[in-house]
Amino acid sequence: MAQAPFTNDIKTLRFLAGEMTQADLGDKVGVTRQTIAAIEQGKYSPSLEVAFRIAHVFGKPLEDVFRWQAD
Amino acid sequence: MSFREKIHWVAFLSLILGFGWYFMSYPWAVANTRGGMLTAVWMLIPTTIIFLVPMVAGTVWFTIRTPKEANLKEDEREKTIHLKGTHAAYYPLVLGIWANIFALINGLSYGWSVNILMATLVLAELIRVGSQLYLYRRGY
Repeated sequence: MAQAPFTNDIKTLRFLAGEMTQADLGDKVGVTRQTIAAIEQGKYSPSLEVAFRIAHVFGKPLEDVFRWQAD
Repeated sequence: MSFREKIHWVAFLSLILGFGWYFMSYPWAVANTRGGMLTAVWMLIPTTIIFLVPMVAGTVWFTIRTPKEANLKEDEREKTIHLKGTHAAYYPLVLGIWANIFALINGLSYGWSVNILMATLVLAELIRVGSQLYLYRRGY
């Protein structure tokens, strides 16, 4: 399948946030661990709401978590 | 593998088991008679049992093993997967209805009609659950 036209630093941010697990992040955001894994791998583009929730968990602005990569 | 994906696998295999038995055991020679229709209706009882027993057992088993996951609400990705699967199942349903109309116009009796409808339903369910399993595996 086509990869999302943006990358993300969720894996690094999880590591920096005390080695937070995908399941922990999923609990905080309100999605399953599998959904966090799919987002990290660029297989699933989250809704704007979930993207903001993820950024909020790490205390970062959205563009520090997701970066547009097309063009 | 998530709880919902496991339940989908159980449903998929139960469908194959239950309705596989039905279509293999049905006496096709009498399908075009009233007896063929009554046989189809009667056979739905064991078919339902064969389908439901592994379905219920599998659901209970996985719920006991992962109670936390079992109580999780569907998230946005899972909702989209379910919608896409249901959408894919629409096409075999339409084809099956047309096949049934064609069969009735051409004088095939209720026995065939019931079987065509049943095959349509089973095929649609297999495509729905199967495509959802594929999307779960692929990530989306």
